Amino acid sequence: MNAPTIGLIAVVIVFVVDIVLLLGLVVLKAFHRRRTERHELRRAAYVATLSRHLASNEQSDRIDEAAADDDAFIDAVIDLRNVVSGREIETLTGLVDGLGLVKRQEAKLRRRFPLGQRLRAAVSLAEIGDETTAPVLIEHISDREAEIRIQCARGLGRMQNTAGIDAILERLGIEDPWVRVRFADTLIGFGAKATWPLAAYIRVNLGHDENRGVIEAIRVLGTIGDREIGPILSGVLRVASDPEVQLAAIEALGFVGGPMAIPPLDHALRSSDWRLRAKAASALGHIGDPSVNRALAARLKDENWWVRRNSAAALGSLPGGDQVLLATMRSPEQPARDAAAETLADIGTLTAARQRDEAGVATEEDILLLEYVIAGDRILV
Amino acid sequence: MLPEDSKSQMSEVKRVLVADDSETVTTVLVTALELAGYEVETAHNGVEAYEMGVSGRYDLVILDQLMPGMLGLEIIDRWQEEGHQIQTIMLSGVDDERTVVNSLESGAVDFIRKPFRLPELLARVRQRLPG
Amino acid sequence: MIHDILAWAGYATLVYFILMQLYMIGLGLRSGAVMRRIHHLNRFGRVSEMLSSYTSPPVTIVIPAYNEAAGIVASVRSMSIVGYPRFEIVVINDGSSDETLEELVEAFNLEQVRVPYRADIPTAPVRAIYRGRGTVDITVIDKENGGRADALNAGINAARYPYALCTDADVILDANCLVGAMRRVVEDRERTVAVGGNIRPLNGSRVQLGHLIRAEVPKRLVPRMQVLEYLRTFLATRPAWSQMEALPLISGAFGVWKRSAVVAVGGFTIGHMGEDMDLTMRMHRYHIDNKIPYRIVYEPSAVIWTEVPETLRVLKRQRIRWHRGLMTAVKDFLPMTFNPKYGRLGMITWAAMFLFEFLAPIIEIVGWITIPTALALGALNTTTLFVLLALAFGFGLFNSLVALLLDESYGHFNSKADTARLIVMALIENFGMRQITVAWRIRALIGGKITRAWGNMERKGVANLGVEG
Repeated sequence: MNAPTIGLIAVVIVFVVDIVLLLGLVVLKAFHRRRTERHELRRAAYVATLSRHLASNEQSDRIDEAAADDDAFIDAVIDLRNVVSGREIETLTGLVDGLGLVKRQEAKLRRRFPLGQRLRAAVSLAEIGDETTAPVLIEHISDREAEIRIQCARGLGRMQNTAGIDAILERLGIEDPWVRVRFADTLIGFGAKATWPLAAYIRVNLGHDENRGVIEAIRVLGTIGDREIGPILSGVLRVASDPEVQLAAIEALGFVGGPMAIPPLDHALRSSDWRLRAKAASALGHIGDPSVNRALAARLKDENWWVRRNSAAALGSLPGGDQVLLATMRSPEQPARDAAAETLADIGTLTAARQRDEAGVATEEDILLLEYVIAGDRILV
Repeated sequence: MLPEDSKSQMSEVKRVLVADDSETVTTVLVTALELAGYEVETAHNGVEAYEMGVSGRYDLVILDQLMPGMLGLEIIDRWQEEGHQIQTIMLSGVDDERTVVNSLESGAVDFIRKPFRLPELLARVRQRLPG
Repeated sequence: MIHDILAWAGYATLVYFILMQLYMIGLGLRSGAVMRRIHHLNRFGRVSEMLSSYTSPPVTIVIPAYNEAAGIVASVRSMSIVGYPRFEIVVINDGSSDETLEELVEAFNLEQVRVPYRADIPTAPVRAIYRGRGTVDITVIDKENGGRADALNAGINAARYPYALCTDADVILDANCLVGAMRRVVEDRERTVAVGGNIRPLNGSRVQLGHLIRAEVPKRLVPRMQVLEYLRTFLATRPAWSQMEALPLISGAFGVWKRSAVVAVGGFTIGHMGEDMDLTMRMHRYHIDNKIPYRIVYEPSAVIWTEVPETLRVLKRQRIRWHRGLMTAVKDFLPMTFNPKYGRLGMITWAAMFLFEFLAPIIEIVGWITIPTALALGALNTTTLFVLLALAFGFGLFNSLVALLLDESYGHFNSKADTARLIVMALIENFGMRQITVAWRIRALIGGKITRAWGNMERKGVANLGVEG
């Protein structure tokens, strides 16, 4: 066999492969075309039927058994669950249960493949599973597929199944970053039920695994916002040496609030780390206690851009803060005036000043502010 | 003349415009409202909603905040600016923090958060459209 | 003797093209593996449930605008309802001579404000800054003209959030594009400095009010060829490059950049014809030279749609500009080419850029000269010639078919008409289109002035695009 012959054989092989791909493409497109059209039609029909069930109590249309295996039906149910709430959800659940849909989806999730169907099953169970689904979901919280783990956690959160909290916490420190934040989302959904399990988790795991899970847990506590957790957060802030943990604790304290939160935040406002100062300024703004106005006003002259900006923003939301900001417009330091001017625009003081100016009743402060804003010199090169 | 007019208004069928880009939402609302005895028409984007509202044919408009073309609040602002008196109920998603804040500030808008309870929504509609 | 040289030159040219196609095949297969995950997420379409306001890092959408009065308001409006919990929009009016600024101020009720603007990157002077207090969180920077790169730099300066999505005014964002891109950031917060997106030609598709209703394959040949070309790049090439952590280019139409990293390398380069490739490569170089752990990735689910040139004339200007940008980049980054210090970027993807993109026109010219001559002189074995040509065509077709198959997970172009158009295009693009592109690249190499394409392409404005012929 000589070179040209090998070459010709190669050409034939390549062209055969090409033809196979081409035919495969044509078939695939035809298949998708039919499938999408039908799916959309069925979905719209299901939505219409289900809407009728929701709108009146008469058993108007029966839903075919086949719907239980129909992705279009599941899509319709999930869509409706995101639109209506309250008793309508129970109606939907009742209809779904009647078809044995949940059991079928559980079976699909339990299989090892194909991934597409398993993922769909996980999403369906997350959205419409009932309490009996919880064990399956807990089982698959450690599934090898990240998206399935996420959906299982979501489902447990929606069901408010407290056993799920422990299952999720177990994985918080070892999970991939993306899955970890999604787990945190779910924990937030649990609300107050998750507060003490989270606190216990933090106490046990502080200092381990680079605090990955702990940081997320602190953030969740802050978002849940249970004021009782304040002392625990202050404690964490005091003992933690990892700045990331400190930052998370500061932010959480800002959301949780309470008079006990102010002293540690005030202390953080004077930290040598600009990030802690900046976070503390924001946190104090969230708490809403004007006793810190003085301290924040001092931070308007901070050397760091973020600290100045956050302090101004905080003052903008505190009682009496706007007066502080207006007074700052007389400061000789331009960075301080810039920060104050931004917040004064955000909170509407600038607009009000403009309106007063147009009406001819502008105050001295208004004029000062307006002049600064419309300064003739170019802002920056 | 007036009493006769109001009498005829009371027995006339009320027309509602439902504006939302999600077909699921419009289907649910149309079904529920029609069963409750209203005449319902739909718009699927901001511009459609704005124009249909201006036509003056509707006694009430149920408006979604996030629609392509024009945002719900913007549509209401424009109607007000142009002097149209159009009764509106706004639908806003849970993540629409800014919308809620702004609509509370302007004070003029009745809104319902998504996901909503059908009975509650119907009650609000009935409240706005007596008779 | 001459015969031999000609013959070898001719064969070598063809072997070069086969090697290029084999490289593409390798990338295509690797991309296929990467796309599996995307396939399931795409077919699902439930991405919007996958993000909450709590976890998502806030993003600044940076939109440079020069003489965009026709469509800027519609464009900003449509971008403002992208599915993402926390973001702000910064539009930079780059010294427009039309009413771009006025349109924005009126539509969004903006007022002039003073903010602590951080001029971390030097730019042309900023004249004023405007903000609105309405539903859309929008800031407009009014500055003196400085070009797209300069405008982007000003946008980065003004950004209040740690990540900046740099895009263009005539782009339509898919609702889930930011979610997809920021997911890659969250996956590895410390290291991820940039995420590139998936650009699709908008031409011929049905658009209403700045939103894509239905994607369709353009009827005209010029944009249709680009559809296939973009599919090959964004579905069959970039996923592989990204997985090898050797992505040499993030498109200007969609790039999410970590603000601090952009500032560290000095921002976009002004006056560069390929400022996106330049910034991407400089990011690589900076982080590798300074031994800072980093990653630059590409996200296939971060889809955006944009107008591509409809006519050969406009396409030519664009391609010459691109090739000029490539030339500058090749010169600037020559020390990185085939340099093992830069890992797979230096040894594979950038080396391939140099060999298969930059050198291509030169080698192709050699082929065009030697092959016919050799044939005429009887120096070529016709069988061998046929085999080489057939293989080059067969491999090229394979790459296009792979790209089309990978596109199936997005679910577009399913009508019979669209399918037929794409397949016919895949078959004929090797006859004619390639050759014209080569001619343009030669033109780029030769030099001479080209009109600046930034802002010169006829803009229809996103809101006014309808069904095209």
